[in-house]
Amino acid sequence: MITKEKLKDYAGKLMFDMDDKEYETLQQEFEIILKQMDLIEKMEGIKEVEPMTFPFPLTHVKWRKDEVTEELTKEEILQNTEAIDKDQVRVPKVVE
Amino acid sequence: MYVDKSIDEIRTSLDNQEVTGKQLFKEAIDKAKEMQPIYNSFVTILDEYQQTKGKTVLNEIPYALKDNFSTKNILTTGSSNILKNYVPVYDATAYRKLKEAGAVLVGKTVLDELAMGGTGTTAHTGIVRNPWDKTRLIGGSSAGSAAAVALGIVPFALGSDTGDSIRKPASFGGVVGFKPTYGRISRYGLFAFASSLDHVGTFTRNVKDTAYVVDVLKGQDEKDMTTLPDDSISYVDMLENEIKGKKLFYIKEACDIENYSDSSDEELLETLKNFHDKLDQLRKIGFEIEGVSIDKNLLNAIYPAYMTISCAEATSNNANLTGIQFGPRGEGKSINDIMFDARTKGFSELIKRRFILGSYILQKENQEKLFLNAGRIRRMIVDKINELFQTYDGMIMPTSGGIAPKFGDKTDQLSDRYLILENHMAIGNFGGFPSITIPSGFVNHMPIGINLTGRVKEDGEVLNMAYKMEEILGMKNIVAKGEKHV
Repeated sequence: MITKEKLKDYAGKLMFDMDDKEYETLQQEFEIILKQMDLIEKMEGIKEVEPMTFPFPLTHVKWRKDEVTEELTKEEILQNTEAIDKDQVRVPKVVE
Repeated sequence: MYVDKSIDEIRTSLDNQEVTGKQLFKEAIDKAKEMQPIYNSFVTILDEYQQTKGKTVLNEIPYALKDNFSTKNILTTGSSNILKNYVPVYDATAYRKLKEAGAVLVGKTVLDELAMGGTGTTAHTGIVRNPWDKTRLIGGSSAGSAAAVALGIVPFALGSDTGDSIRKPASFGGVVGFKPTYGRISRYGLFAFASSLDHVGTFTRNVKDTAYVVDVLKGQDEKDMTTLPDDSISYVDMLENEIKGKKLFYIKEACDIENYSDSSDEELLETLKNFHDKLDQLRKIGFEIEGVSIDKNLLNAIYPAYMTISCAEATSNNANLTGIQFGPRGEGKSINDIMFDARTKGFSELIKRRFILGSYILQKENQEKLFLNAGRIRRMIVDKINELFQTYDGMIMPTSGGIAPKFGDKTDQLSDRYLILENHMAIGNFGGFPSITIPSGFVNHMPIGINLTGRVKEDGEVLNMAYKMEEILGMKNIVAKGEKHV
């Protein structure tokens, strides 16, 4: 059983929090998926299978050269930023 | 009214100058606005018509785009609070291609937040209702696109499909939903959910319209290295090919009615009866269809493997949503506090739970048992299907084990019930197989669908078979009446 504290710790690493009820729902979900993954681990021959990470091998892909073909303007880059200071994204001081 | 017709019919009306592109645009946005208070298909309805000069069949044809496709200077929210004000600075390739083809965007459609969900109920702008019964959901994540096509607001819309996010809502909405081969359509500019499973695809009201749209969208894109070279084939030209002798299989463990002899779920039983009745009709036009057995343990493993892979990939893909460079700024004294606040307020409960699952799965100590085992299941099921595809030309299945649920009856909370009929479509994403859902009838006055999945890169063959099936299934070009705003 994964404790609520442990889940809160994972949430913290992901930089967000949830309320108590949400952690309880998540605890139930963890129980389910871990049980299902336990069964998967017991499947015959599973360890001999190479994990699949991509739908099928791509044979036509060639590396292209790293060339600058398009650039965004400073205005475009900052267009969605709420806090700007002299063409830069403003954040609190990191070093006091 | 023209926008509720097929692309062929609208094209003819345009060519005969019975209607103009501008009039079609107005018709579509008027209908979208009329239906919006009840069905909530759109995040944004555009108000300015842009004259187009495309040279394709889609020139001046209106359409809708799921709100996770990047559209320069048009709000694109991913239906999430964390992107509620985000205006992209570049175009997704799929959108660019449609623009060049002359198609006219009328609006951006609602999705489950960041495409992670299957109910159409988690968007920051509210729930999407089913055009056939507003007390029911339409499914997701491409909920608004499915509803907009089902309501006859536009003849086609784009969606994205990571587990069944086009094909399931298509079934619940009585429309055609197609997810082509992985890489057939560029994902450049699509907000990534789980990159190894994400596909761009279409909603239409008939299979020929699907072929028209995919013919425009397909092709290699230097901005997406996973895209496939264009095979220079027109899928529309393949639709009339002979299908006699095409061999299809269905999975007996999921589809045989005797497996459900103790079930009192009448909608499930009716759906299966419809499925087998339709198979008999398809056999009469030349399809050879039989049931095959697949190890039930492997079938039961599909959903947990899907959850494991997709949550892990999603956690990593969405780490850039911090509220610093874009998105609403959080409050706090340090950068960490600001990001923490932005992410706590910006994400809804469901995707937070998914991100935590994903993060747990990716911890070094859990990778072998969870992440790698899920990848092993993925390979085992894909190998099995590819082995069957040496004998068969396709897999045919009911899209779902029933009709669209009522609100509250289905959630995205993980369940310990193994529901193969609800979860088999992730096979199409695991293997990148082309997969299409076609409406096949009604149960309790709600549409249901049949799903056809074919060999990788054989999108044309799948569309050809689906086109012939559609004639038999008798649900071509249906439009949900939808209640008007009162």
